[in-house]
Amino acid sequence: MKPKIKIGSRLIAIGAVLLLANTAKAQQSSADSALLGRVAALEQQVADQKPGESHFMVAGLATFGYVSNKTTFTTPGAAGQIAKANSFGDADHYELSPMLMWRHSNNLLVEFEPSFDGNTIGVNWANISYFAAPGLVIHAGYFVVPFGIYNKKLAAGWIDKLAGDPNGFDAPGTDFGIGFSGGFPLGDMKWSYDVSLTNGLQLLPDGEIQNAGIVDNNKGKMISGRISLLPLSNSSLEIGVSGLHSNAGDAGSNFTSANVTMYGADINFVKTFNPLLVNVKGQYNRIEVSRQTYASTTDGPDYTFSNVSSAAFAQASIRPTGIDNGFLKNIEIAYRYSNYATPTGSSWGQKSHENDLGVDYWLSWRTVLKFTYSMSHALSTANVDQGGTPGTTDVKAIYLQFSVEF
Amino acid sequence: MIFGVISIIAAIFTSCIESKKIGEKGGAQLWAENCQRCHNTPSPASFSHEQWKTIGLHMQTRAQLTDKERDKIIDFLSQ
Repeated sequence: MKPKIKIGSRLIAIGAVLLLANTAKAQQSSADSALLGRVAALEQQVADQKPGESHFMVAGLATFGYVSNKTTFTTPGAAGQIAKANSFGDADHYELSPMLMWRHSNNLLVEFEPSFDGNTIGVNWANISYFAAPGLVIHAGYFVVPFGIYNKKLAAGWIDKLAGDPNGFDAPGTDFGIGFSGGFPLGDMKWSYDVSLTNGLQLLPDGEIQNAGIVDNNKGKMISGRISLLPLSNSSLEIGVSGLHSNAGDAGSNFTSANVTMYGADINFVKTFNPLLVNVKGQYNRIEVSRQTYASTTDGPDYTFSNVSSAAFAQASIRPTGIDNGFLKNIEIAYRYSNYATPTGSSWGQKSHENDLGVDYWLSWRTVLKFTYSMSHALSTANVDQGGTPGTTDVKAIYLQFSVEF
Repeated sequence: MIFGVISIIAAIFTSCIESKKIGEKGGAQLWAENCQRCHNTPSPASFSHEQWKTIGLHMQTRAQLTDKERDKIIDFLSQ
């Protein structure tokens, strides 16, 4: 009987071992299943993070600061009148503009930049760009009209070396329409074009030009464009010429046949002469409005004048980017001379010039603290019979401005 | 007249071929040369690759970069 007992014990032992083995196997299988589940979950998370072609982001800029100025009005035969003011960010020197960008695909970009300038909320641009082919980008919507370099490339607070804008460069502004742009190599050189067809400018009753706006005031359209050449192989020099032609009179008004022609030229040179980074920029604008007869606002007879305006600025700045001193290498000294002449004999005629001297401290590549001292002088050439006031206006101003791109 | 204008335009476009020297420029060099014409050269660390791709399209509309310049600069900034 003993052998039978032994055999039975062994069978029980073997059974127990098999049972334990199966249990362990089941536990292992359960662990594997959990692991696979976890891996699958992680894979899903990775898949969720896959960027795809579409992408949305917010960039933009903020600029604010303080300005203190003293204005002296001098009229012939009278003592000068002095006015002083100081304030935090006015409409010309304050801006909060988040820029929303949707990259719908690698060929389509949608941009929208609302802007709060201290008084109103407006829109700087809202347009779609389709990257159709190498050297061909098609724009449609509300965009900065291509003319010169200041408005489209240099006006942003975190780019501009000086706190204010040079006078006379508001036109042609922003408008609704369609545009085409692109750049091409040309041997060692490069050239680019930027043209648009938009609603156009508006001639106001006193002969001033309203910047391109939202309401289309006639059937005519505005064609505008800029061509530039970068003649040096290192792209340090860019020379551009611009042209614009627009019907400008309100439909059905006395200005039905009025049109505006603008010419412009610009230059941009940026190069490091170790240890200095040298930056030179300039632009010239000329605005010609076809001869019109204007209604007097002072119950006098109708009048006319040569409606030609011109504006120019030349700017230079240096920054010792090549030195080791971490403080000094972030300081940039800038100077800008600008002049602006509006039509003699109009009710708003004047000849003015301005000198701006600035010291900037760059907190980062896109964050700047600016100190600008500005002196301007304007001589009225306005038609006294049409309400113009003869005399001069001198303004001295100090700006402390902070600007950041985000 | 029209034939002349078309010929000039065709001549301009067909001559739009970069030299070997220009074609060999890397992203870092193009970044330094093109960005600083208007503003300081951006730090690559400021944005992610996807953000640089979007910004690259935006900057192409502002600076009239060629497609090749844009792509090389984005690749450099994304490293």
